[in-house]
This record gives sequence, structure tokens and C-alpha cells, in this order.
Amino acid sequence: MIQLNPLTLKKLRRFRSIKRGYWSFIILVSLYVFSLAGELFVNKRALIVSYDNELFFPTYGKQYSGKQFGLGYEYEVDYRELQKRFEEKESRNWILMPLIPYDPYEMDYRDASSTGFSSPSLKRSHFCGTDKTERDILARLLYGFRIAMTFAIGYLVLTYLIAITIGSLMGYLGGKIDMLGLRFVEIWANVPFLYMVIILVSVMPGWWGVGWQVSSLLIIMVLFSWTGMTYYIRASVYREKSRDYISAAKVIGASPLRIILKHLLPNVISTLVTFAPFTIAAAISSITALDFLGYGLPPPTPSWGELLKQGVSNLRTAPWIVIYTVASLVLTLTLVTFIGEAVREAFDPKKFSTYE
Amino acid sequence: MEKLYGKLLIPKNSPLTNDMKIYTYLNILVVLFISLSTQSCDNPKLKPPREKSPAKNTPQNNEGKTFDREFVRELAREFGKEFAVEFAKQMKGGSPLLISNQDSGSQSGITDKAGNPHPLLVDCSEEVLEFYSKNSDCFKILTSDKIPLTLKWMDGSEETEFSSTAAQKGGTWEVFMRDFPRTLRTIGPDANGAFRSYLLDYNVLSLVHPHPNSDGYFPGLANSWAVGEDGKTVYFRLDPNARYSDGEKVKVSDFFFFFYFMRSKHIQAPWYNDFYGKDKFQRVTLYDDETLSITFYKAKPDIVERVSIRAKPEHFYGELDGEFLSKYQWDPEPTTGAYEALPENIDKGKSVTLVRQKDWWADKKPFFRYRFNPDKIKVSVIRDYNKAFEVFLKGGIDMFGLAKTEFWYDKLPNEHRLVTNGYLSKVTFFNQTPPPSYALRINSQRPPFNDLNVRIGFHHAMNFDMVLEKIFRGDFVRMNTVADGYGDRSHPTLKAREFSVDKALEFFAKAGYKKRGGDGILVNSNGERLAVEVLTGYRHFEDVLVVLKEQAKKAGLEMKLKILEPTASWKAANEKNHQVVFSAFNSFVELFPRFWEPYHSDNAYEEGGDSKYTPDGSLKQKLTTKVSTNNFTQTAVQKIDHLIDQYRDEEDLDRITEMAHQLSEMIHDHAVWVPAWKKPWLRIGHWNWVSFPENWGPKESRDYEEFQVFWIDQDKKEKIVNAMKDSSPVSKDPTIRVYEDYKSN
Repeated sequence: MIQLNPLTLKKLRRFRSIKRGYWSFIILVSLYVFSLAGELFVNKRALIVSYDNELFFPTYGKQYSGKQFGLGYEYEVDYRELQKRFEEKESRNWILMPLIPYDPYEMDYRDASSTGFSSPSLKRSHFCGTDKTERDILARLLYGFRIAMTFAIGYLVLTYLIAITIGSLMGYLGGKIDMLGLRFVEIWANVPFLYMVIILVSVMPGWWGVGWQVSSLLIIMVLFSWTGMTYYIRASVYREKSRDYISAAKVIGASPLRIILKHLLPNVISTLVTFAPFTIAAAISSITALDFLGYGLPPPTPSWGELLKQGVSNLRTAPWIVIYTVASLVLTLTLVTFIGEAVREAFDPKKFSTYE
Repeated sequence: MEKLYGKLLIPKNSPLTNDMKIYTYLNILVVLFISLSTQSCDNPKLKPPREKSPAKNTPQNNEGKTFDREFVRELAREFGKEFAVEFAKQMKGGSPLLISNQDSGSQSGITDKAGNPHPLLVDCSEEVLEFYSKNSDCFKILTSDKIPLTLKWMDGSEETEFSSTAAQKGGTWEVFMRDFPRTLRTIGPDANGAFRSYLLDYNVLSLVHPHPNSDGYFPGLANSWAVGEDGKTVYFRLDPNARYSDGEKVKVSDFFFFFYFMRSKHIQAPWYNDFYGKDKFQRVTLYDDETLSITFYKAKPDIVERVSIRAKPEHFYGELDGEFLSKYQWDPEPTTGAYEALPENIDKGKSVTLVRQKDWWADKKPFFRYRFNPDKIKVSVIRDYNKAFEVFLKGGIDMFGLAKTEFWYDKLPNEHRLVTNGYLSKVTFFNQTPPPSYALRINSQRPPFNDLNVRIGFHHAMNFDMVLEKIFRGDFVRMNTVADGYGDRSHPTLKAREFSVDKALEFFAKAGYKKRGGDGILVNSNGERLAVEVLTGYRHFEDVLVVLKEQAKKAGLEMKLKILEPTASWKAANEKNHQVVFSAFNSFVELFPRFWEPYHSDNAYEEGGDSKYTPDGSLKQKLTTKVSTNNFTQTAVQKIDHLIDQYRDEEDLDRITEMAHQLSEMIHDHAVWVPAWKKPWLRIGHWNWVSFPENWGPKESRDYEEFQVFWIDQDKKEKIVNAMKDSSPVSKDPTIRVYEDYKSN
């Protein structure tokens, strides 16, 4: 077990005591965990298929072709159709479908009347309706959330990594390195973020897989947005550097690396932590904005920005798209902001009494 | 060099100080010296100043405040001319420039023996005359007794007018554009925007116009025309009333000038330079002040419309120079059409209002008299399409294209209050034009598509049936050949390959893709997945591609979609960097389709003609890809090449038809082009104060604006606007109308 600093423990306890932030944190984390296991709840593949006394678990792993279940085609079996057949034949075979039997890519063109924009329906298990090509909105929201959150966490980790490294080097080493570094950061920070992302995304080769494209989008975004945080790190490091304990460490003969990692960072980290939730919120908003503009994730990746765009251009005919997407976006960002406020409160050296 | 004169040395719009003036002159001298010593003496830049300098360019140095660039350049020219003459005298004892001009000029009738220009060309500037003289094989002046007497003159009197006599003049036609035009030039960089149609394409008259309801023609700037015996020359007799909007008469010499203009490098339009080049438009001949003839390189069956050009107002341009683009950026040329763009009616960034000329010369002219009815066309910028639609529903725009399914069915359903109250009409008009060529173009150069089996498999893996049924709700039909919509020239029986998982799998297996991987995508024995990139610039067709992608998975094919901005996608495809590109080209309304641009190997590889094939007819290895051509499929098949060459040379319509069918078949067999869909109709919504002729429009209408046969009914407008206040119905006339006169099959 990592021994937590008693001060940190105290801060954590204080965070727990701020109920609004704490519960927001619990809800957000559970939502994210839920979305990570999304295939078990929202999926076109069945959870369990019992066919000819054999059990299949198709959720993860390889596709099963239609032929394997006695249907005459080689491509992936349509489990909902299979379920219907089993029920009609009243055979011993059975199938257990997830709660929402659709995946975010699949178009549910089930009959002649389905030509896009079906309104929410309990009967068809489209709880939030469908989009232009009859894809389930809820499925796209959930998987979109998973991607956005993962993206935001990756964004947070990477920007902080770069910002901490550069910021603490500038702060600790000072002098020319600081001067030059700061100028570089200032110049870099003035590169227009959105334009650069748009330009770079448009030259990304399309033969990259979706994973690659998403990671490179992440890297591009990180590359043009780490600068903001370096100022704070540098300033905090500067402040801490002149404290006696650092001088003491130097006198003992600790190496600069050790001083930075062991002594400076733990004391600087509180600044960072208070920014973290807001960085997450910013990341979610910018990926949504980029998708909205069409420069984000490659289609047909589920994304909130893409949903918003569809919703806005069909505001009158399919209002449910905007309603659910905006609601999800507002909910997520509110949760994140509540967490952020609570963290800031908990890490505040001047203890306020608002929440106690 | 003109850049140096104009831009580098003399800063734009900056008042020059005395020191700078001296510096400027010195620089000009240096530059002139350099240009003379590096270029030959007949440098076209070295010429005397124009006698008739346009008033707006008069030098304003009388108070010594500012120096006009034009003035400095005139000085430079004058100096240059003297220098050249002097230089030439010393070298050869005479000016080669002037002497050679007079020689060739007098032979073609452009100048007389003494070097004076022909009376028809008295207003030409030196440079223009020089151009004509240099190209004296292209520009000829003969006497009117040289007009063949055997000509059969036509005047379009056998054709019927396609407009309505009920049309009323007046009112403002409100339209929208997505972006403010970047220029009011109709040629050169940025000129080819949507706005140009209002200025040029729908507006300006050509010599003769193809009749949109028949195969005949109706007169435009020319009153009558005749095809010469060689089948390559068309004679035109100008309408003596033809005038530009500034009151100047349209002269025969303007058609000389047209070619000077179109072949000038200053317009920075290589496509036009080439299109109107010497090799196609071989000769223009003037006979008298109203007769001219144009000779094309080949006796094509549709020769009349091919050579039917527009007039270029020479009196307006005088001559062109390196500043053409900037000079005419916001200074529209006088037009022969009904509507005129005046600088005072431009609200930059917001709208451009075109005004109908008060006494338009063609007001009473048959085929024009009941068209171009509104007094004004107000083109406003609305950047967002959906917002524009909302503006339309409020009455701010008069007409709106409803081709998109969701607009027709969901956003403006038949039960919409505006429709049931009789304010708005929904019109479906079946037209007959070559459709825009929506298709997936496969780059046959890039693996795995270098294998014919993969290409055929790809065809069978595309579920366009579902796209047509679900996304377009059965209103669109499948395109079948590379040349649909050309009447008899289109292949009568050829059908696009149908969606069939079994067939696709069969062909993919032939190409070695036999096993399915864990994700259901086929793999070959090297472990390569059958995954291809599909590029497009059409964000609004994302759903189409998504449906195709999901359905293609059934056939074990993965499509990676890459949706870019239109320009970025166009660039990528132009560099032939794509595997598959989904795009469309507008087809011209013409008699027979074009094959050379998209399917000839000369547009695929740099190596010319047959040098890219081995003796047995297969393609050589390591050829250089040719970029920026329309051969997006990189088709290079010797047999197709040869047939296209013959097709281009052929002059007989029956043979052309036969060869067009053969070519369609061969390209179908080559399987590089997956035809998508076509719309057999135009579908629009319009406010009922816009009235149309009885049969709505001519057969070959490509959009509702093209022939401008509608009119704005002011009384109805008032009635509707009043009725809207209390939402009361205005009339019981049907508001959902279908015109099937020109419905084919």
C-alpha cells in the first residue's frame, strides 16, 4: 500500500465530506465503469445463446456466422432475428439478449416504414429513438460517452505529463532555460489550436485504423494545448524552490531529479489536482466541438458532436436527438464541474467553512 | 516581370515620397534592362502607350501627392518601346517587332499594307492587334463577297418559345447563396463559385442557344446562323440591336477579342486557355460589321453549340495585363444579359442585388421576351443550409430546392400548414438532362484494386438498393452506365451490378480473399485484410456511405470512411492518392458523352499514347502517375484508348452512338466505376406568388433557376402576405403538383 501523506489524507477526507462533489464523483465513475462494460448491456450480439445443447457467449471475441446457427448466410448472425426464429419454432434453443439489443453502428431497417428518425419507443427498445440511419441513439450516446471519457482521461494524463516535465524543468533550472522555454511556450500557445487540429486531421492518412486516428487526434490536441498548465507548474516550482526544505535537500546532496520528483512535485501537485476536473470538461467539450464541425473522430464512430450536428439540422423533425444529447452533455459536464469545485475546495489551503 | 513592376517596386496604394520616386524610376530602368537582356526583343510587354487610356486611370500627379501605378507603367512602356526600337535598329537596322507584324497582319487582312488596322479593328490596342497578327492563321478578315452563297441560313423560327405569354415583369426575386462571392469576375481564380451563375451562366447571351425542348437552336446575339460545307465552320450574323449594358453595341471584333481574352495568361485560367485554344478553335473570320464565322477543328454533329461563344466587351477591357485579376475583382464587365451587377448594389459580405436593365435590348426578342421577369434578383448570404430553409419558410426566399429526402418528407411534409393553406407549393418536375455522375470511382492503380476480381467483388458488395430505398425513400433511381441521360447515346440495356453477398464473396475468393477473420472481414493467404479507404468531400452523404459500409461487412469488406472538406478531398483525389473516391461531376447538356477525360490512359499516366503498353497490350511497370486529371479511376486499357481516339475523331452520329455504347460496355467490364443514383426530376418548394408557365419549365432544366421562365406575381404576394397574418387559406388550387410531360421510361 502506498502510504499517503497525512495531509493528503486530510484533504481526501475533506473531499468526501463535500457531499455534492463526492456523489458526483461516485456517479461519474460508475457511469464510466458501466460504459466500459457497455457491450454487456447495449449490444446487438447476444449475451448467451443456447443452440443444440451448446452454450455460446458471443459478446466478446470472434463473430459467429449465420451458418453456425442454421441460418443460410456466412456473415455475422443477426441475433434478434435468431431470437425470433427460436421463439417461433418453440424449440429448446434460447437466447439472452442485452437490455438494449442494438449496437451503435447498426441500422435497424426492420420494415418498410423505418426510414430514419424513429421516435423513442419502448416496444422496439429504442428508448431514446433513432437517428437518420436508424441507429439507436442511446447506444450511440453510451459508446460516445465511453470514447469521450477515455479520450479526456488520456488527454489529461498526456497534457499533465508534458506540462509537468517542462514546467518543473523551467522552474527549477531557471536562468536561460527558463527564459528560452517561456518564450517558446508563449509562441507555441499562440498557435491557433482549432485551425491546427483541423489542418492536421485533414492530412491524416485514411488507411490508419480508427484506433490510430483517435490516438493521433489525441496527440495533436495534446500537442497544442499543454502550454496553459506549464505556467502554473513553473510558478509553483519557483515558489517552492526557494523554501528551506529544498535548500536542505540540496545541502544533503540530493540530485535535481530527486529534488523535483520527491520534494517539489508532491507540494506542487495540489495546484494540478484542482485543475484536473476542468481539464476533463474542456477535453470533452473540445472533442464534441470538433466532431460537431466534422473534424473529430472518423465516421461512423459514435460521438456526441456528430449526434448534436444531426440533432441541430433536424431540430423540428427529430427533437429527441438534441434533447437526449444535450441532456447527457449537460449532465456529464455538471458532474465534472461539481467534482472540480469540491476538489478545489478540499485542496484549498485556506479552509473555507461553506461546506462544513 | 509584370509582378516586379506592379507589386515589388511600387507599394500598393502608398503615396510615394520624392526619394521613393527616384528609387522607383531607377528600379524600373534596372528591371527593364534586365528584361531586355534576358528576353527576346519581341517581348510583348514592350509597346507604346495606349492612345485611349480609360478615364479612371488618368495619372493624378498634377499636385504631386500620389502617383498612379498606371502612369508609372505607361512611362516604363514608352521608354521600353523606344529602347527596343533603338536596340533593334542597332542590331538589324530596323524594328523586328513592327516589321514582322505588318507582314503577317496584312496577309490575314488585319492590317493593310501600310500597317494600319482594318476598319473593323480600329479600336483595338496595339497589343491586341499584335496578338491577332501573330496568330494570323486564327484571325482573318475577309470581304463580305467571300461568304459562301450556298449557305442555308437558320434563324430558329421553326422552334416554339418555351416561356409563357402570361409572364409579368416586376418584383424582386429573393435567393440565397452559401458564401459571399470572392470576386465579380466571371473567370480566373475564385470566379467559379455558385454566384457566377446569376452573373453569367443564366444571364449572358451566347451567339446561339440550344433549345431546351428540342434538338434545335434559338438565336441569341446572332440573328441567324449557317453551317458551312466543311461541317466545321459556322457562320453567324449578329443581331444589330445587340447591346451591352453600358450601351455599347456588340461588334464582330468582340469575338476576335474573346479569343485574345480566353487565351491570355493574365486571366489565370488554364482550363479556359486550353478549352478555347488554337487546336480546337482554329479560326475566326470576320466578313463585315455583322457577319463572322468560327471554324472548329472537327465537324461534330453539335458543331453549332460548340462554337457558340459569348461576346467579350473589348471596349471595356482594352487589353489585359498582369493586373487583370485585381483590377476587375469587383468591377463586373458590361453584360449582354438582362441583369446587371452594379457596384452600388453590392453589400459586401451580405448580399448582391442584380438589377434588370431598363431598356434591355432583347426585351422584345423572341425566346427572351417572356423570360428574366423579376426587376431585381437579390442574392443574400445565408451560410447555413438549415437556416436558409427556415428563412424560406418565413417567406424570405422565394424558392428552395427540396431534392433532399428529409426536406421533402419531414421538414416540409404535404400536411404542412403553409402547404395546406395554399401559400406554398411543392413541385416535382420530371426533366431530361445528363445527371451529375454520382459514383464510387475505384483507383485501379492501387492494390488491392489492381485485381479485376476485387473490383467486381466491390461492385457486388455495394448495397445501393438499400440506400435508394431507405435514405432516398425510393425517389431516386439507380444509375446504370457511365453515360446515362444522353438519349440514344446512352447504353439501352446495360445495368449496374447488383448487390449480392454471394457474388461478391465469389469474386473476392477468386482474388485470394477466402477466409474470414475474427471480425468477419476477409483475409488472403498473406494475412492481408480486405480493407479499403473510401474518400469523399460530401459530408451530407455520410449516411449513404455509412449504410454501404455496414452492408459491405456482410461481404467481408471493410470500408474505412474518410470524409474531408470538399477542397481537401478534391486535392487528394486529384493527386490520385485515393483508393476509392465518392464524387460527382456535373455533366454538360450536350449531344454525346465525354470519355477521353475520365477514361483515356493519357490522363492516367505521363507516358503518352501506346508507349505505356507492352507489345501484348498489358500495362508496363513503373509508369508515372499523371495528377490533376479527371481520370480518377486510373483507367489505362489499350483497347479503350484506341476506341476513345476513334470516338473523338468520328463525325457521324450513328457511329458515335455505336461507339458510345461499346465504350460504356468496356468500362463496365473494366469495373472501375460503381454507379450510384440519379434523380429523374427536379423537386422544389416555392411560394405561390412565384408563377410558372403551364408546363412549368423546359425539358432540359437542370435547376429551377436556369431558364428563368417564372415571374413574381405582385398581387398574389400581397394577398398571401395578408392571409398569413391570420393564417387563413388563400386558394384551393392544388399546391402539390407533379409535371410528368418529360418523364422517361
